[in-house]
Amino acid sequence: MTNDFSIIGKPIAMVDAAGKTTGSGKYADDLSAPGMLVGKILHSPFPHARIKRIDITRAEKLDGVVAVVIGTDAPNPYGILPVGHDEYALALDKVRYVGDNVACVAAIDEATAEKALELIDVEYEVLPAYFDPEDSMKAETNLIHDNKPHNIEKDYHHVFGDPEKGFAEADQIAEARFIANEVTHAAMEPHCTLAAFEIDPQTGKPGRLVVQSSTQVPYYLQHKLSLVLEMPMSQIRVIKPLVGGGFGGKSEVIPLEIIAAIAARKAKAPVKVTYTREEVFWAHRGRPRTIVDLKTGIKKDGRITAVKARVVQDGGAYCSYGVVTILYSGALLGALYDIPNIQYDGYRVLTNKPVCGAMRGHGTVNVRFAFESQLDELAAKIGKDPADVREINLLKPPCITVNGLRVRSYGLPECIEKVVDRSGWKQRKGKLPRGRGLGIACSHYVSGAANSIIRSDMPHSTVNIKIDRDGGVVVYTGASDIGQGSDTMVAQIAAETLGCSLSRVKVVAADTDLTPIDIGSYSSRVTFMNGNATLKAVQDVKKQIASAAARKMSCEPQELTFRNDIVTKKKGHVGADAPVRPAEQSSAASVSGRVEGQILRGSLQQKRKDEGPKDSLSFEEAVVAAIDFHGALSGTGSYAPPLEARGGKHKGAGVGPSPAYSYSAQVAEVSVDEETGEVTVHKVWASHDCGRALNPVSVEGQIIGSVWMGMGQALTEEMVWKDGMLMNPGLLEYRSPSSVESPEVEAIIVESIDPEGPFGAKECSEGSLAATIPAIGNAIYDAVGVRLHESPFTPERVLAALRAKKNAKPINLTEGVDPTAPAKFREHGGSLWYRGKGPERHPLDPSRREAPGAAGGDD
Amino acid sequence: MSLPQFKLLRPRTLADAIGHLDKHASNLRVIAGGTDLIPSMRQKLFEPEFVLDLRHIPELKGIHERQESGVEVGALTSLTDIEHSALLRRRYPVLTEAAATVASPVIRNMGTIGGNICLDTRCLWYNQSLTWRKGCGFCIKKDGDLCHVAPGGTKCWAAFSGDTPPALLCLNADVEIVGPAGSRRIPLREFYTGLGDNYRTIQPNELLTRVFLPESSADYSGVYRKLRIRGSIDYPLAGVAVVMKRSNGHIADARVALTAVNPAPVLVKGASERLAGKVMDEALAEAVGDLAARTAKPLTTSALTPEYRREMIRVFTKRAVLAAAAN
Ligand SMILES: Cc1cc2nc3c(=O)[nH]c(=O)nc-3n(C[C@H](O)[C@H](O)[C@H](O)COP(=O)(O)OP(=O)(O)OC[C@H]3O[C@@H](n4cnc5c(N)ncnc54)[C@H](O)[C@@H]3O)c2cc1C
Ligand code: SF4
Repeated sequence: MTNDFSIIGKPIAMVDAAGKTTGSGKYADDLSAPGMLVGKILHSPFPHARIKRIDITRAEKLDGVVAVVIGTDAPNPYGILPVGHDEYALALDKVRYVGDNVACVAAIDEATAEKALELIDVEYEVLPAYFDPEDSMKAETNLIHDNKPHNIEKDYHHVFGDPEKGFAEADQIAEARFIANEVTHAAMEPHCTLAAFEIDPQTGKPGRLVVQSSTQVPYYLQHKLSLVLEMPMSQIRVIKPLVGGGFGGKSEVIPLEIIAAIAARKAKAPVKVTYTREEVFWAHRGRPRTIVDLKTGIKKDGRITAVKARVVQDGGAYCSYGVVTILYSGALLGALYDIPNIQYDGYRVLTNKPVCGAMRGHGTVNVRFAFESQLDELAAKIGKDPADVREINLLKPPCITVNGLRVRSYGLPECIEKVVDRSGWKQRKGKLPRGRGLGIACSHYVSGAANSIIRSDMPHSTVNIKIDRDGGVVVYTGASDIGQGSDTMVAQIAAETLGCSLSRVKVVAADTDLTPIDIGSYSSRVTFMNGNATLKAVQDVKKQIASAAARKMSCEPQELTFRNDIVTKKKGHVGADAPVRPAEQSSAASVSGRVEGQILRGSLQQKRKDEGPKDSLSFEEAVVAAIDFHGALSGTGSYAPPLEARGGKHKGAGVGPSPAYSYSAQVAEVSVDEETGEVTVHKVWASHDCGRALNPVSVEGQIIGSVWMGMGQALTEEMVWKDGMLMNPGLLEYRSPSSVESPEVEAIIVESIDPEGPFGAKECSEGSLAATIPAIGNAIYDAVGVRLHESPFTPERVLAALRAKKNAKPINLTEGVDPTAPAKFREHGGSLWYRGKGPERHPLDPSRREAPGAAGGDD
Repeated sequence: MSLPQFKLLRPRTLADAIGHLDKHASNLRVIAGGTDLIPSMRQKLFEPEFVLDLRHIPELKGIHERQESGVEVGALTSLTDIEHSALLRRRYPVLTEAAATVASPVIRNMGTIGGNICLDTRCLWYNQSLTWRKGCGFCIKKDGDLCHVAPGGTKCWAAFSGDTPPALLCLNADVEIVGPAGSRRIPLREFYTGLGDNYRTIQPNELLTRVFLPESSADYSGVYRKLRIRGSIDYPLAGVAVVMKRSNGHIADARVALTAVNPAPVLVKGASERLAGKVMDEALAEAVGDLAARTAKPLTTSALTPEYRREMIRVFTKRAVLAAAAN
């Protein structure tokens, strides 16, 4: 494949950039429909309770309320995984976390709907709840789901090679417990769904359901809606408007998407539900708190001999992607380095907290943090440079790893080399002033899962394309652009392949009525899979154009080159008029739109009469020739991962295999204030092997974003729980880094040109995240000599580690200074709400004393 | 979360504002920049029938130098204006430094000094939505009768978390309070009660109108140090303001005040006495740090553990007095 491209590999502004920056682009919450109602959801105040009774009559009677829906209005269970259909749109008999969905009011405005929520009378029988996964695993009674003994959603036990023998051969062994606390996506756009039933023009009854939603997976949404609402998929249209970030938080069906639809059904009017930020935190589906007990053996020469990992994930109250997450955690121990012996025991555990799911770097991040930290420790033990240790353990592709993953393109060696070189690692490591340090770590990720979660043989992506007589190209793709730029990627591949200008290409995306199935934007699959499907579809039409153009030019189709809106005969064929054509072409290219197209076509027809066979045709002439010759000009292409890439045969082998893996190496430079424990990241050198950078600015953006998000998890972000209550359900207290703390990120693109990726491309949006956390942790170690086993590395944790090392006065991290502070906040008694005593009562307290001026402000 | 419905009152003069207060005080909230009040109203911490908007009263705005008697700052002056005032930067640098650390640039454009002084005390169990608080059980500060932070007692410990008040305390600032009964001028120190719930001494029918920075504390060197997790947006988790005047290498006068670790901003007891007349060195700074840590009573009202925050008061105070002496 030639490297000589005109659109691929060029820094190109996103095709939807202006719409977003000027505000003309529409996100779900910008949409409205005539007669639209506002939906508000009633959430459970208890972490675990049986619903004994729900009375909605008072709420229904409130002026302005059109409908109130509860669990029995849509009792079919669903879930993103076929093995995990354990969720209901609204709770049927039990609530399982604070924030679980109980009822929804559709009313004329938000305030009315909120008022109506207060009038819904729910009687709960509170059950003992489980908040810690290790406690939860011991549960015998009051299970979260009756069919999950010990509250274990799923456990896997894998042995590859001979770990015991591996450890016996090791010269050094490290063993430790690592904890990565829970984080969430915190996408800028809160979830929003607008659901409306179209009135059937023939019968006048509500007919098809149209759902516009902030989703990464329109097709799965269509499927689950069909399941819960008992409607054929063909009667449901899902449209994805602009999406303001997903990061996995919108990669499955989120309760509001179904709730809006059932509310619209009952209210017989369009209903829009937009989550508050607090509800976004409850909807969650983020990265679970993960306990990793890790043991690694290494030889003096730096070779890793064995790894043993026991991983417990605190998955929250429902399955979600959990089974996949726990499998990724084990599977992606392989495919980065050559590890001959692996033992993996993974437990996905249910607890009474919001549901964890897929989040950028799905399943790999926390285990990678543990592994890369431990490798750093081992490097020190055997007295080797940690960068060298990583190089010693590289895979030698093409190969199949011990756990059955096929690795082909492998840019990791170059990634390491580049960051070591650019950061001055060899000269500077260990020689920085006290309190300042460098750390290195690597990571990788799949470019799409080779086996889709829906277990079917259908292609993972299909793309259609049509070209109009004026040379306008329309690509119909199911790919969901959630801000990552898939529309731009599709347009680039189409324009490059057809040799036409980008402005000719219009992308119609993610509308289940118009676009063929694509399983969604997750597991970094879109560029690889939808890109390949696009490429095939475009090649399909290009062949038709080429054969017609070749007839016109009296040559063979293979002799033609498509470039810069011109189709030319290759080599010697470019004649004396060649210098003239580009000028003509550029004016043709600058003429855009239908009207000009028409005019042009008229004059072209005139020209055609005058001339004989030519050495080149404009893109439009070629298109017109093809349409005249073939009739309609349309093509289609689809992609399914090759059989060889689909992994081994063991139980759970379906998760982990990918047609290609991306690679990342990072060096972080940090300083640590030894008196306060504050960590400052000064710079991160991040190299990423993305196969080929189809759009380098976009790749750099993804690398920087990954580093930044990884830094959030490393230093500041953490969901804090007290007795099942989320203490920081907002962006003020859940602290994603601001621009002030964002370090300089030197994004280094490595291109390994994958043999199967479109133009050689692989993923670039997830693989870099995981390396950032251990790179920072390792840099802290280099700076001040403390090894942090728990993320985020908050100043108190760092300071506690520093004090422990110096045997100085320890700092109690987990307790308040008040020793009487309760462990369980719901049970310490006395709150008005629960006990009905005290001088003043909230107006909503059922046992409120009706005294004048009893309620009100506090000053 | 919807904003509760209310009637908006927009007086053009201070007299009109007082008139409204006289009539509706029992069911009214004052709004200045709204950066504190509006989020709290959405969380249904306040559901007043009337909201009195002060932004259209010109006499409440501006920074004025008064001959021989220091500087007056109108309560409605934005934090951005304070941050960028050359006069304040030159004469009362601790105030501009503290103002510059509040929230983020956008919020400082809206937020006022009056609002910062009157800022509601904060607590993780209080600054939550109505749904959240219902799920947890209400507490003393709002609708309940116990404290989740210190359940043994009957006191609310919500932390005062404004950045400029410790600086103002160091400057011995006075505030002017106006109500139907007339106006009075009190030291800022007396503005706070030290309780987490009823945190101000101002009456519901009164307004804070002006802040007076006395001539006697002008031209002190000043330093403000703020503990926060992010370099922007975050409220202080602990804050230390220091002002100092030196003569002939000795400390002539100094004051140290804290924020975000008590229900009120407080001057550190004994710090001035300890510093006066001394030559600054590491040991002296540490001693003052110890005093500050003793004054601080952080509880689990915010992120980071109380023990850590108290420790940081010690470290930040030490650093702040050293920096003030080096200025
Ligand atoms: C994301 C975020 C971050 C923040 N971070 C910080 C921070 O780091 N440091 C910090 O100090 N603050 C912070 N704040 C709080 C707030 O922005 C500032 O304290 C600001 O100065 C408040 O001023 P305001 O004019 O907006 O107050 P308002 O919201 O208008 O009023 C606040 C309170 O004071 C009362 N009030 C206001 N003016 C008067 C008056 N003249 N007389 C009587 N009562 C009055 C109001 O009734 C209300 O109860 C933050 C706020 C947000 C939303
Ligand atoms: S300190 Fe106690 S009473 Fe005060 S707001 Fe916090 S929990 Fe409520």
